Amino acid sequence: MFCVISFIVLSILGVFSAENRSLAREALDCVLRRVTLRPCNTGFDEKMKARILGFVITKTETGARILNRFFEPLSWIFVLLFLGSAFFAVRGVYLFYVTGSCNGLNQSGFCVFDPTGQSNQISNVGESCPVVLPGEDPVSLKGVNLDGFPVLNAEGEKSIVFIGSYGCEYSRKAYPVVRQLAEKSAARFTFLYYPVKESSDYLAKVGYCAYRQDAEKYWSLVDTFFTAERSQIEDESFIRQTLSEAGYNADTILFCASDPQTEWVVKKQLSEVVKTGFFGTPTVFIQNEVLIGPKPPRVYAIALNGLLYWAR
Amino acid sequence: MNIQKIRQDFPLLGWSNGRKPIIYFDNACQSLRPQAVIEAVQRYYEETPACAGRSMHRLASEVSRQVDEARQQVARFLHAGRKEEIVFTRNTTEAINLVANALDWKAGDVVLLTDKEHNSNLIPWQMLARRFGVCLKFVPSNPDNTFNLAAYQQALQGGVRLVAMGYTSNLDGVSIPAEEVVRLAHKQGALVLLDAAQTAPHQRLDVRRLDADWVAFSGHKMLAPSGIGVLYGKYRLLETMQPFLVGGDTVASSTYEDCQFLPPPEKFEAGLQNYAGIIGLGAAIRYLQQIGLENIEKHETALNQYLSEALKSVPGLQIIGPADARLRSGIVSFFIPGVDHHRIALMLDQMAGIAVRSGQHCVHSWFNSRGIPGSVRASVYFYNTEEEARQLVDALIKIRKVL
Ligand SMILES: Cc1ncc(COP(=O)(O)O)c(C=O)c1O
Repeated sequence: MFCVISFIVLSILGVFSAENRSLAREALDCVLRRVTLRPCNTGFDEKMKARILGFVITKTETGARILNRFFEPLSWIFVLLFLGSAFFAVRGVYLFYVTGSCNGLNQSGFCVFDPTGQSNQISNVGESCPVVLPGEDPVSLKGVNLDGFPVLNAEGEKSIVFIGSYGCEYSRKAYPVVRQLAEKSAARFTFLYYPVKESSDYLAKVGYCAYRQDAEKYWSLVDTFFTAERSQIEDESFIRQTLSEAGYNADTILFCASDPQTEWVVKKQLSEVVKTGFFGTPTVFIQNEVLIGPKPPRVYAIALNGLLYWAR
Repeated sequence: MNIQKIRQDFPLLGWSNGRKPIIYFDNACQSLRPQAVIEAVQRYYEETPACAGRSMHRLASEVSRQVDEARQQVARFLHAGRKEEIVFTRNTTEAINLVANALDWKAGDVVLLTDKEHNSNLIPWQMLARRFGVCLKFVPSNPDNTFNLAAYQQALQGGVRLVAMGYTSNLDGVSIPAEEVVRLAHKQGALVLLDAAQTAPHQRLDVRRLDADWVAFSGHKMLAPSGIGVLYGKYRLLETMQPFLVGGDTVASSTYEDCQFLPPPEKFEAGLQNYAGIIGLGAAIRYLQQIGLENIEKHETALNQYLSEALKSVPGLQIIGPADARLRSGIVSFFIPGVDHHRIALMLDQMAGIAVRSGQHCVHSWFNSRGIPGSVRASVYFYNTEEEARQLVDALIKIRKVL
């Protein structure tokens, strides 16, 4: 068993040094002889054992004695540990590929490929907004009425629902990716605007009015709000300019936005969004999957193709 | 003899590039090389990298002169009568093979060996047994592995063509009483070849006093570069011997049908020689003579006594050969029953940078006949110190506690 573990370890170390490569070759020789049930006569295991003991003895004599006594069982333990960690490593790579996180979809444990956990970052729904904490209930669209929310490709077969906020850095990162995917795949794209900060509530009303007035022009408005400087989007003159550039009459839209009736409808819409149980933006529903935080583009595509199923 | 000063001549014995000095106890296999030898070799390659003898240009004559000087030096080192008695070979093994292949053998010729010969002084004779029906006889050692003179005398009685014996055993460091061995052999009309691989580096050799017919040894066990060895042979014998390896440089002239061999030693030195090795051997001998072989022998014996005594504190350790360290020159060969000798050697290397040899030391026949799997061999040279010996013993005590 020692030959096996040595082969594995030395093969990895062999990437860095020629000496380890030649030792790995010796170890392989040793392994093959074992496997074919010939006596392991390379002396490799003996050589390595002596070297390891020689090293340990200089640190702790007792340790060396124990190691000498239980060398084979310890080798087994190392092999099992290695196989276990190898399994988790491969699983981590796979999960990272399909979900953007080594630990699985929306799981925020440490991941070497994404050490800062970017793909799970969200702007929490702030204190000044209706506080919604990650609840027991899973985030889902079940029982949520999506009527009246802006929809692109209403006839699309597949469905993408994007909850995001113009003021949220992570929504801004995810939005263009998801939007592009929706366009490319002709999926039905529903946009649920949810302001993480109360001050951007206003934009919810502006958006509502704009969409109601002209659903076509609406999307260029959204695109602009997601890409403009964050400090600008709360500025009324910027909003006016954006509306005009999108082809709206700014006065009409802003008048509509200040209408109490609009406020009532938007509030209703926001409370509908809250029903999803989401706890931060961006939250994206693709087919039956919920993706929280800005994922790498491939992950959204995989979800749209229904392949995230395998990552469970 | 100022050991600390001597040690400075050996690059591996000092700190270099942050690497600890090695503790080198594998001198019976190869010795370390002093700077003087390294420089001599380098000088050859830098200044005169040419053929001796064959060419006429300046470089060639300079190499010829240096090779000649080295041959002279070896002759003086051995106290040989003339430098033509010195044949350069690759090593002891080749020297022994030369003798084995240069005599006319008949079925039934007896070659007498000891029971602990190095394979280099066993296999060539076994080949003769296979090819010509030569008969090999072995003189059994005393129980303490010393030479059994009585058994030897008895063995000589049956008629022996050649006595081929290790002068000093690489297994346990025991030397045979060579002068007596030669005298008795000659009395019975037998020729004598001494394998002095473990003798020449460590004690004064006087081939004329020994009266041995051939003496073989290797340069690399006595500070010289690897791949250079020597066969000393009495000139009149060399003259009558068939050359072993033949070809370029061995003949004065040739026709399509025949050739005319050069006189010894050239007729035995076929092909381009190891000039760097020969010149390096000259430098090594000069170095050894500066220190003095008597001093070397005295130092090694004292160190072996210290080491052998200190090793008594390692539980279960058994030394091969006589208890008296003075009879084992610079070699301490030991084993601990039940503990793998290779493991000990590897651990010594890993733990303390101590280089020893482990295994059967090419004396498989001795180990196999006694059912001993192998041993660890520490072989000292004049640059080893008591402090190094102490470190070896300390490490062994530690290992013993663990294994
Ligand atoms: C006693 C003896 N004879 C012969 C030899 C062979 O020497 P080489 O390998 O230099 O030919 C050795 C080498 O260890 C030896 O110790």
